[in-house]
Amino acid sequence: MAIVSKTANSASFRNSRRWLTVALALYFIYTFIPIFYVIVSSTKSNADLFGTFGLWFSGDFHFWQNLQDLFTYQDGIFSRWLLNTILYSVVSGVGAALFATFAGYAFSKFEFVGKKLSFALVLGAVMIPQTALVIPIFLLLSKVGLVNTPWAVILPSLVFPPGVFLMKVYADDALSNELIEAGRVDGAGEVHIFFNIAFRLLTPGFATVLILAFVATWNNYFLPLVLLNSSDNFPVTVGLSQWYALATSGSGGAVLFSIVMAGSLVSIVPVIAAFLIMQRYWQGGLGAGGVKA
Amino acid sequence: MAVIELKGVEKSFGSVKVIRGVDLKVEHGEFVVFVGPSGSGKSTLLRLVAGLEETSGGTILIDGRDVTNLGPAERELAMVFQSYALYPHKTIRGNMSFGLEVAGFPKDEIRQRVDEVARLLQLSDYLERKPRELSGGQRQRVAIGRAIVREPVAFMFDEPLSNLDAGLRVDMRIEITKLHQRLGATMIYVTHDQVEAMTLADRIVVLDKGIIQQTGSPLELYEHPANLFVAQFIGSPKMNVLPAAFKEGRISINGGVGIEAGKMTGTDVANVGIRPDDIEISPDGTGLIHGKVDVVERLGSDTFAYVAVPGAHAVTVRAPRDSAVAIGQDVGLTFRPERLQIFAVDGTSLRLRPGV
Ligand SMILES: Nc1ncnc2c1ncn2[C@@H]1O[C@H](COP(=O)(O)OP(=O)(O)O)[C@@H](O)[C@H]1O
Ligand SMILES: [Mg+2]
Repeated sequence: MAIVSKTANSASFRNSRRWLTVALALYFIYTFIPIFYVIVSSTKSNADLFGTFGLWFSGDFHFWQNLQDLFTYQDGIFSRWLLNTILYSVVSGVGAALFATFAGYAFSKFEFVGKKLSFALVLGAVMIPQTALVIPIFLLLSKVGLVNTPWAVILPSLVFPPGVFLMKVYADDALSNELIEAGRVDGAGEVHIFFNIAFRLLTPGFATVLILAFVATWNNYFLPLVLLNSSDNFPVTVGLSQWYALATSGSGGAVLFSIVMAGSLVSIVPVIAAFLIMQRYWQGGLGAGGVKA
Repeated sequence: MAVIELKGVEKSFGSVKVIRGVDLKVEHGEFVVFVGPSGSGKSTLLRLVAGLEETSGGTILIDGRDVTNLGPAERELAMVFQSYALYPHKTIRGNMSFGLEVAGFPKDEIRQRVDEVARLLQLSDYLERKPRELSGGQRQRVAIGRAIVREPVAFMFDEPLSNLDAGLRVDMRIEITKLHQRLGATMIYVTHDQVEAMTLADRIVVLDKGIIQQTGSPLELYEHPANLFVAQFIGSPKMNVLPAAFKEGRISINGGVGIEAGKMTGTDVANVGIRPDDIEISPDGTGLIHGKVDVVERLGSDTFAYVAVPGAHAVTVRAPRDSAVAIGQDVGLTFRPERLQIFAVDGTSLRLRPGV
């Protein structure tokens, strides 16, 4: 059966391309507006924030002032929150990606008792939002005295079922059994094979899971909200929401809105940076050439 | 060099029996080829020898040592994979050194050995490249080189040439033969290509459905196949098979005249086989069977005529290249009775083999 495709010059092709472009443009605007709003708002003074049109800059460029206020308010606790977020996200991102790679490799390349059941459990766990588990996690961690410590955020975040699934699928595809067997015939042990051969070929998958787990922890709000109670341990998400609550409660906190806006902007920047840095590890085709023609 | 011995080796995947009791002895320096159709268990058998699969039954001995429960490295064999399985992130030198590094050889010796093998395989200019920068044939040579540097007791090859194009395949086949002569090492080679098997092997092991159908030298298999399966699998084009019956001490082919059969091991004749090279075309009305020429293929070196014989499959005849045979012609077919293979109802050969 032949699929007769439209050529680039046919009228119907140009017509459908036009509609697609419009649809994508609308979608782009829809997703970009909130970010644009944050950018615009963070340049405004508190008065302008409410006194001028929300989606455009006001004459008064208040950005540097907002930034300075952000990092000095309450003895500069925002820097502390930022460092906390970075710590939690990096440790749980790297940890979750490592565990996911170990587990995905095992699911993909080894036969063991209970493999089907445990993989079904992983898939099931993908469906359960962490939010639903926060209260049980709180109860568990309070038993061992880890509530209100960094571990309260990091330990639960190391569990990242979608990453396990991704790495299993990736290892199925990117890592041939024969390559592992070649290592075995060459006399290398399983650990040696994993770190010297397999891991190198799984790097793009590892990078993907790392960034996903990193962002998940970076944006996590409910888990730290429940498990942390001293301001010193807060990540940016919880800290900013507290300031926001303070601002809306009205008791002399009105000045905080523009600071919260600047804080939101600052909290987005490292995520974008992380994406750009990790990008070069995504280049696929690392496995090309070793296996087959 | 090594003697490899299999005794009653079995392998099942779940409830599926893939290898059903294999007994085989591969001698020092012998080149043995496992051949059989796809899915016959060739790879599985090779992987059992290499230690990449665990046996479900039986024992495997290398030089008299029971290795049935040892891992691949402890068996000191080398393996060349169909996909080459080179480490893509390592250079060619890195690929060839890896096994020696793992074994803890001194750096100087590794370098020296790799250089030597690279020279042997004409890879010296490529040592610092990555596998993806090499052609298919070169990658295959690297895979072989990686096997050689470790000086293993025996080499295993699993369809190493099947990813190469036809011309290169012939070249590599010759290189592997030369390599075997130079190293004198025991080699087991898996292929589904009977031409490859015939040209490379000292001894061929024909497998079907996980059972050894026959072992023997290429010529033995060609001339004295043990059963219908081997007869049809070895040789190209395939051996012709015609229905036959045993009547009054003679064999009647396709319901026609009976011929003297010679000594046989039984009389429940069901089929006879005759190779295309052993048939001659004779004028209509003469010969042992007759038919009508259906297709004529002129290959230059040979001419193949496909003759439709009533009551049987088309019969392939290899005629001289200048044969005048033409499509639609009615012809007779003759052959020397001693070239006939005679098969029983269960497919086993009934022809008494010389020396058997
Ligand atoms: N790991 C495995 N799990 C289940 N079945 C397998 C496995 N490996 C091979 N088989 C089966 O065993 C049979 C023989 O396979 P194989 O040895 O690869 O055949 P060949 O190399 O002769 O083509 C096939 O039917 C195949 O499906
Ligand atoms: Mg195979």
